[in-house]
Amino acid sequence: MPKITIDARTIDVPKGTSVLEAAQLLGVYIPRYCYHPRLSVSGNCRMCLVEVEKAPKLLTACSTEAAEGMVVRTDSEKVKAARRDVLEFLLINHPLDCPICDQAGECGLQDYYMDYSRAKSRFPAEDKVLRQKRRALGPHLVLDNERCILCTRCVRFCSEVTKTSELEVMERGDHSFIDLKEGKALDNGYTLNIADLCPVGAWTSRDFRFKQRVWFLKKAPAVCLGCATGCLMEAHYNDNTIYRLVPRPNAETNTWLCDRGRMTYKAAAAGDRLSKGVIKNGLIDLEPALREAATRIDEAKDAAAVLGSPWLSVEDNAALALLAGGMKTENYCFDFKFETGIADGILVNKDPSPNAAGAARVKAASGGLNFEEFLARLSGGKIKLVLTEARAAGLLKDALKASGARLIVFANNRGEIPAGAYATLPYASYFETPGTFINYQGLERRTEPVVQAPEGVKPLWQVVNKLSAYSGASLRLDSAEDALKGLDKK
Amino acid sequence: MISVKKVNNRPLNFLERIYLPEIARGLAVTMRHFFKNLFSPKNILTIRYPEQASPLPGNANLRTLHRLKIREDGSPKCVACFMCQTACPAYCIRIEAAEYPDNTVEKYPAVFDIDLSRCVMCGMCVEACPEDAIAMDTRELPGGALTRAEMLLTRDDLLRNLPGEPSTLGAANRLANEYLEGKK
Repeated sequence: MPKITIDARTIDVPKGTSVLEAAQLLGVYIPRYCYHPRLSVSGNCRMCLVEVEKAPKLLTACSTEAAEGMVVRTDSEKVKAARRDVLEFLLINHPLDCPICDQAGECGLQDYYMDYSRAKSRFPAEDKVLRQKRRALGPHLVLDNERCILCTRCVRFCSEVTKTSELEVMERGDHSFIDLKEGKALDNGYTLNIADLCPVGAWTSRDFRFKQRVWFLKKAPAVCLGCATGCLMEAHYNDNTIYRLVPRPNAETNTWLCDRGRMTYKAAAAGDRLSKGVIKNGLIDLEPALREAATRIDEAKDAAAVLGSPWLSVEDNAALALLAGGMKTENYCFDFKFETGIADGILVNKDPSPNAAGAARVKAASGGLNFEEFLARLSGGKIKLVLTEARAAGLLKDALKASGARLIVFANNRGEIPAGAYATLPYASYFETPGTFINYQGLERRTEPVVQAPEGVKPLWQVVNKLSAYSGASLRLDSAEDALKGLDKK
Repeated sequence: MISVKKVNNRPLNFLERIYLPEIARGLAVTMRHFFKNLFSPKNILTIRYPEQASPLPGNANLRTLHRLKIREDGSPKCVACFMCQTACPAYCIRIEAAEYPDNTVEKYPAVFDIDLSRCVMCGMCVEACPEDAIAMDTRELPGGALTRAEMLLTRDDLLRNLPGEPSTLGAANRLANEYLEGKK
């Protein structure tokens, strides 16, 4: 365990720790561009230069291993001058694009300039070397070579994390620039991480481009419900609209976020968002739709069935289980078996649903049929009506078609409604209502509301509550937690 | 603690206390002005604003109605950087950015609204603008309006050049000049 002294404070660090990481442990921030905790050390930006006693020159903190008895200064005049000079060097040819650059406000150059330099440029703006301006690379990214500071984070990301190696530094010396390798396309499913990694505005997201200035955005914790991995993410929103999703790095599941997960916010604000009920293909108000659905459920009596959904939260599944109890039917199922595990070695899970484990928890409390039994009863004609969530209804597609049972679904968007659904009831998405999800590792993931649901759209447990009031056995749920408690009592 | 100041008004004399002579005196003042204005209207100080406006003093540096400057080719000089919207203390500016398919400037305002009913004419937007694209030098004072909609300036209302423009001088015009050169 080497003992290292940084700015007159001493710390024991494990062998192999770099000076930069040791400083981080002490709470001393060393500026960096090319260093990233999850990528290999490259040491090319020179921003992290520190003074080490007995070393003839300044050393890069990211690539210097902490050694026994090392004495490091990060606040000496020499270090400050070095930082100023590195910034001046990086800014010589950096275009004055800030007004049109999406990175402005979260830009490494802007931030460090204000923190460490504030020097006036000694180079006239007309002498800047011009390079290729923006061009779209891949379905999600825009590259502007003029803004690039050649930290090679993007190159290392593609070769080390996705292992697809699309990007490379072309040419040498001051001719260097980042480009695609010949014959490659930048579409590896994780490309938007490059826009996050890029400390300047060279890589920007095509989806987020010019939508909103970053300083207007407010941040809220969110959870990705794209698959069973359950990545933690942060929703950036303003004026009741989500503009982008970025990863919330954590040791358990994710440092990155896949492109598909980042686009999941779009469904919440999509034009086909349901705010009324649908009977067959016609929109009607929620109340008559609920009454109609309740009448059909009562009609079917014990041939009515409830299927939970691995796309719904534990609370909402619990509310459905209570509803099944109130309906006095034996046909209910909260049993979903998917193969789990990381499919591509990075993040994407084999299980496409976010909450199969949560549904299993509801099954453990309420019982119910196995999925196979449920399917058999449906195909055998014992079930005349199925109440479920839209994506879970997709699991029953063929059996529903064969048996001709009535289908009543809960859905967020019109596009989700399965063909042949008899009635559809809208519910608030998990960007608008809290919910608990359990990922493939068994970790509890709690979503918190980021934006408000469209007018009249209620969380699923409230819709279930109303449905229960219309169909006779009222559940009297006051909150999502009530549903969980009601389940525990059973 | 509220401080109270006592004012010792002069007590009214007898004529003032019987009231009528003072009324007559007041009416006389009113009538004097009435007839003066009736027979020589050019001395009236008030004007019928907003139909009439008094000319502004010639050399005054005033913050008057906003405008957005235009480049040589008719495109707005504004690049939709949102600095003015950020600086605005009255939240009266609303911008929606859009992207040119091809040229070096890339970004332009598809929507640029200034709500004059909210604007406090502080000039912060002009101070904040890095492109010298917004100015308050039209020497027109925003007048009264009958509806809120009339107080909303849209991009088309705002875009105009003054005589002698567009100017291509200054560092702020670099991008615009580059862009115009590329068009030739």
